This record gives sequence, structure tokens and C-alpha cells, in this order.
Amino acid sequence: MSVFRFKMIAILFVSFLLLAACGNDTGQQGEDTETDSNQQEDNLSYRDELNIALTAQPPTLDTAQTVSAVALDIAGNVYQQLFQLDASYEPTPVLAESYEVSEDGTAYTIYLREGVHFHNGEEMTAEDVVASMNRWLVTSSRAIALLEGASFSEIDPYTVQLDVPEATSDVLILMASQAQFPSIMPKEIIESITEENGLSEYIGTGPYKFEEWRQDQHISLVRNEDYQSLEGAPSGFTGEITTPTERLVFHFVSDHSTRIAGIQTGLYDVADTIPIDSYDQLDADDNIELLTFPGGTLTAFFNTTEGIFADEALRHAVLAALDNEEIMLASYSKPELFELAPGYLSDNHEQWSTDAGAEYYNQANPELAQQLLDEAGYNGEEITLLTTQDYNEMYTGTLVIQDQLRQIGMNVTVDTYDFPTFLETKDSRGEWDLFLASTGYQITPPQLLAVTPDWAGLDDDFVREGLANIRGAQSPEEASAAWATVQEHLYETSASTVLGHYNSVVAVRSELEDFELFEAPVVWNARIPE
Amino acid sequence: MLTYTLKRLLATLPVLFVVSVAIFLIIHITPGSPAATILGMEATSAQIEAFNEEMGYNRPLIEQYTSWVSGIVQGDFGDSLFMNQTVLGAVSQHIGPTLSLALLSQLIAIVLAIPLGILAAHKRGTILDTMLMSFSLFGMAVPNFLLALILMLILGVNLGWLPVAGYAPLSSGLINHLTTLLLPALSLGAIQAALITRMTRSAMLDVLSLHYMRAARSKGLKERTLLIKHAFRNAFLPILTVIGQTFGTLVTGAVVIETIFNIPGLGQLIINSIVRRDYVVIQGVVLIVTLIYLFINLVIDLLYGVVDPRVRLDRKE
Repeated sequence: MSVFRFKMIAILFVSFLLLAACGNDTGQQGEDTETDSNQQEDNLSYRDELNIALTAQPPTLDTAQTVSAVALDIAGNVYQQLFQLDASYEPTPVLAESYEVSEDGTAYTIYLREGVHFHNGEEMTAEDVVASMNRWLVTSSRAIALLEGASFSEIDPYTVQLDVPEATSDVLILMASQAQFPSIMPKEIIESITEENGLSEYIGTGPYKFEEWRQDQHISLVRNEDYQSLEGAPSGFTGEITTPTERLVFHFVSDHSTRIAGIQTGLYDVADTIPIDSYDQLDADDNIELLTFPGGTLTAFFNTTEGIFADEALRHAVLAALDNEEIMLASYSKPELFELAPGYLSDNHEQWSTDAGAEYYNQANPELAQQLLDEAGYNGEEITLLTTQDYNEMYTGTLVIQDQLRQIGMNVTVDTYDFPTFLETKDSRGEWDLFLASTGYQITPPQLLAVTPDWAGLDDDFVREGLANIRGAQSPEEASAAWATVQEHLYETSASTVLGHYNSVVAVRSELEDFELFEAPVVWNARIPE
Repeated sequence: MLTYTLKRLLATLPVLFVVSVAIFLIIHITPGSPAATILGMEATSAQIEAFNEEMGYNRPLIEQYTSWVSGIVQGDFGDSLFMNQTVLGAVSQHIGPTLSLALLSQLIAIVLAIPLGILAAHKRGTILDTMLMSFSLFGMAVPNFLLALILMLILGVNLGWLPVAGYAPLSSGLINHLTTLLLPALSLGAIQAALITRMTRSAMLDVLSLHYMRAARSKGLKERTLLIKHAFRNAFLPILTVIGQTFGTLVTGAVVIETIFNIPGLGQLIINSIVRRDYVVIQGVVLIVTLIYLFINLVIDLLYGVVDPRVRLDRKE
């Protein structure tokens, strides 16, 4: 009998818990309603929290070190740079007040804004800027590659000087770029970063302060009440910042269906990287608005140094065979989510937009391909395409290419790995012949992976010289022309080919106001009326 | 019982050794390094080389293994590459959600399964029995991620009764805590319940067919007393075994459900660590999970003696 009683008590207890849990909704609604009316009375008409669902937890918030988009999306609210990009991709002073360049172009005198305070209450001065920027010069792989030998020094508490070994046209834009951006932090924090213990105290000058990082759950930021905004209409990462929302919570939600269910039910207000399969489902939902923005390119990279594609003639045969529309449609499902254009950089970025090499792009000509194959003496040697299923577009695109190449009689296999293994295998040049990568847009040509020797092994003097010409150009027009010759050369030698340009999709609740998409979701002015 | 417990504890050592070697080898033989993940797609080979040198990944495997194991013997499971904390710190932070979820799921499973199992045995051969068994067969056949997505769609998205994802710790209030756990716990609990119901039914049927049950019935005992006090108590051992095993699975294997509902438990910690190639965390968590599993099994074995005094754990010398 005692067991029976125990069971009855247990059943009653659980029923109570279940009822209590179900009843919670009503309870919370009651509380919400109360808060609503209080806030209306106080004339505070915006919700105090925005919930943003990101696909992954960032590896770090040390921006100088990472190219991880989720890290930069979050950190951009905490940290600011001397210069940031406005909506037309112009580097615009943010923590800098103004700057001068010496006649020979090797010394930049940068005047700092006075009265800017870090989140720990200390004022930002030249020593903080010098420490932050000099660390960036030796930490960011881009700065190491493109600004070698540069250094920052203090002139007075509100002036710093940047010396570069030779004059180049892209110094400011490198400092203002999003990937691996140089955050300005207090000097003592920079000094506390060691090899073993990375950055662990997140103190910047940005509109939001770091509040909490719950591993594998969320990072929350709270409004920086002492933030002094720039003036002028918001434009890109510059202009006025009003922080109408008190707290930003960035949730890490790796499961796509959970992110989608979350935005449908209002658990999240913004959800990034919406899978294309769910596009129609969310598009039909009146509570949700889908925003697209130019994301980047899907590019095919040849192994030009080892294996069968070291032969340029065979690479030309592949380029002749590729039907880019078919590849992009398979990878991105809907025609409105991609565009076909041979440029390696964004067409929105006028200076670098060019169709040089267009005659080699999207030929979709199997007869020509077959003829080129015969001329090159192809004899059924095995061709290995390297890919990863972790990025669906890369995987699907690879399968379509496999099919297209098989149709012209090539013997093609696909090696599929998870992403870390894909990256490692890519560096073993003997193990693959071609791979696809979807990569976000770069701001300047020298930052492109297609011209980075370490990426796919392309080591070409013409390209190296062309990049030097771009950086040393006296005028924007000269730089544009120099880039066009490099792009033409990439197609002429079939070192790589852009397959198409994709749009990224972000879902937001339709009641969300003043949310911007520029390179990243810009949430510091976003708000939801109560 | 003390000798038995000590013997069992000693027996865990070889198991832990084998698991430690296996997991260490699997991780280090698997291609893909933490360097590529931490330094990003654009890292140069020189940077990757420098990183591996600094973290000691260039040392011979046996040297890396011994240094890892000697750390563990001293209670140091190492530090996560990604999380700025120790492995034990990461586990203690992630084990709470997993335990809460496992307990609630188990509670749901037991509360549903045992009465239904007893009922099915009692009404053997009736339509009710067939219906209950069909449901439980269906429950065992449905993968838990599918049930989770269906429940999420109905109770979360369409009806809006429960949050579709997220986790509120106990410190934010019991109600909040349970609200976020209810959907995942139902998804896990319902499936475990299917298994326990079948096991309860068959164990009860075995006992109900014994002679002493007929004797008890002919003595004029009430049916309820007969079922609960005489039949269920004697049928409880195999049911306890299943409950123990399912609890072990819940604590150590709710990986998919934790991912779907975004619950920061041990399962998610393992998955994320694998994706990031956070070697030390994967190794540490697998070892700790093995320990938990062994511990649960030990507790279940010890409970046999408590539930059924006929079971003697210590052999008489």
C-alpha cells in the first residue's frame, strides 16, 4: 500500500508541476501587461530587450584575431574603431576626429576625439590607441600581410601617428574593414592579453557594454548610458546611434528549425542565416520580414600548383564546361537569391566592380569544353573535388560541377569532409584538384582569397605585381584599372572563377524598426514599439 | 555491500583507461585541427604551425596522452581552448541543464509508463491493452528528434503555449525553469515511457501468472492490493533496470534534443566541442560522461538489494 501511496503523491506532484508550468504563460502575460501599462505611463514606448539568434557561438570577441562573422556582429556593438565604413564604403572617422597624410604618403597623423570614455569610465587617450593598433598590426593576418613594417606612436594625449614603409592607397580602408577589425581598448587590457589567456575582459567605447557570456547559450550586452554618439544620419557603421533598446541578447542557435520556430513565435526578433529551404515558409508569414543583402561570392578554386589542373589548358576546358546558372540555382534555390557576374568584389562597390574576363565566365559550352579536353590530351585521369557538407551551397555546387564535368567525359570524384577537415585537406595540395568556397565580400582586392597564395596555392608574379600597382596607385581610377587587369588575368589563366554572387537572408519580426543590414546586422538603433 | 561497492569502483578503472585511450586516439586521428577553427579560414600555414607549436599539438601522441592523463590523476582535466575556462568548469556549467532535463523526462516517463504498464497487464487481451501496446510500439518507433519537432510545431509554434527553445536556470524561478524544459522533457520522456510501459507490462504478466498470485487471489485479496503490493513489487526489478538504463541514456545522450531546443547541456557541449575541435573538452567530457554512466549502473545494482532483499550483493565467504 505504501508504494501505491507514494505513486499517488508523485502523480499529484507532477500534475501540479505540469499545471504550474502551463499556467506560467498566463502569469507572465499578466506581468507583461502590468509592465506595459507602467511603461506607457512612463512614456517609455520601446521594448527593453532585443533577442537575436545567431548560428554559432563566436570563438572569441577579440576582433583583431577573428574573421568569424558572429564574433564581429556582436563585438561591433562593444568596440569602435578609429575609422569605420559608411554606407558607401568610405572610411569615416569614428574615434578619430580627423587625420592628415604626409606628402610622401608614409605618415598619417590621426587626431583623436576628446572626451570619449571606455566602459570602465576611463578616458580614451593616445596610449590606448597606440597599444590597440600596434597589437592589431601583429595579430590580424590581413594587417600582417598588407601593413608589414607599419607602426603607431603617440604624439600627444590626443594625437597618434601611423608610419607605413611605403605609400599605399588602402591604409584607411584596411583599418576600417570589418573582418579582423582593430578595436580600441584600454592599454592595460591590451597588456593583460597573453598567449595562454586570450582577451577575457571586454571593455570598449561602443554603444553597448558587455554584460554576460553564458557558454553555448548567449552573450548579452547592455546600453552604455555614457555613450556619446556621432552626429548625422546613420550610414553604414557611422552616424548617429540612439540605443533605444536597453539590452541586446545574442543567442547561439545552431539548429536551423529552432531558429525559424523561434522567430515565428517571437522568441527571437532577428534570426540570421536563414536556410533557403525555409525562405517560402517565412515569406508567407505576416509577422516576419525577410531582408536580403549582398553576401558574397561562390567561387571555384583550381589547384594550379599540383595535380592535373597544373595544366592551364585543362583548366580552360573546365571553365568552358561550367554552367554557372545551373550551379547557383542548385546552391541557392531561388533566382532572386543570387546574381551572375564575373567580378570578385561586390558590384555595389563601384571602384572594384568590373566585368574583366567576362568571356571566360559562365560559358556553358560542353562542345568547346570537349574540344579543349581533346587538345589538352586528357586521358581519363581522376579529378578530385574537395567539399564539405557543413556549407550546403558549397556541397550542392560541387555535385553539380561533378555532373557537368562528367558530361564532357572527365573522371570526377568528390571528397567530402566536415569543415575543419576540409580546411586542413585544402592545405595538402596533393589531395585535391578543385574546391568551391562561399566567402563574404572583401572591401579591397588585396584582401581577396583568390589572390592570397596561402589559400589555394596560386603563386603568380603577374598577380603580385598587379596588387602592388593597386596599392600604390595615385588615384582611384588608376587602382580600378590595375584591378581589372588582375581579374582579367585570373580568368585568362583559369586560376579560379566566380560562380555567382549570393544574397544572405536575415529574418526579422515585422514590428522591428530601424534595423539595418550593412555588411552585418546593425542593431544599435533597432527598436520594437511596445 | 561495502566490499561489493569497492570492487565495482575498482572495476571502473580499466574501463576508464580503455575509454581514455579510445577517445584520445579517435580525436587525434580525426583530421581537422583546432588551429583552423580558431584562426579562421584565412589563417596562413605559418600561423597554424605557430599555434600548434604553442599548444603542444606537434608533440608525439604518446607524450600528449601521458601529459593529459597525468593531469587528470591530479584532478586537472585541462583548459578549453575556446571557453576561457577549465574543462571541469565547463562541465559543471553544462551538467545542470542536462540533469534537470533528465530528471523531468524520467519523471514524465515513469508517471506515464508504470500505471499504463500495470493497466495493460491487468487488462491483458482487451482492446485497451492492444491500444496501449500499439501506442507504445509507435512511441518506440518514432525517433525522438521527430517527436520533438512535431511537439515544437504544435505546442510551441501553432498554439504558442510553450517556448520553442532556450533554457532558464533554476535560479530564474522554478516555473520559468520548468516551462523551458517541458517540451524537450516531453519529447524525451514520451519515448522512454513507451519502453518502460512495455517492460512493466511484460514483467507484470510474468508475475501475475505465478502460483502465489493465484493463491493470494483465492484468499480474497482486493485486486488493487494484489496488483500493487504483490505483483508490482515482485515485478519491479527488471523495470528498475530499464529505468536505470534509460536514465543513463538521458543524462549522457540527449545530444539531439539539447541541440533542437538549444539547451546548454552536456550534449551540446560535446557537439560544439567536436565542431570546434576543442580536443581537451571532448576528451574530458567523454571521460566524465563514462564515469556518470558507470555510477548510475552501480547505483541501480545497489538498489536491487534494497528493492528485493532476496538479492545479496556480497557473496558469503
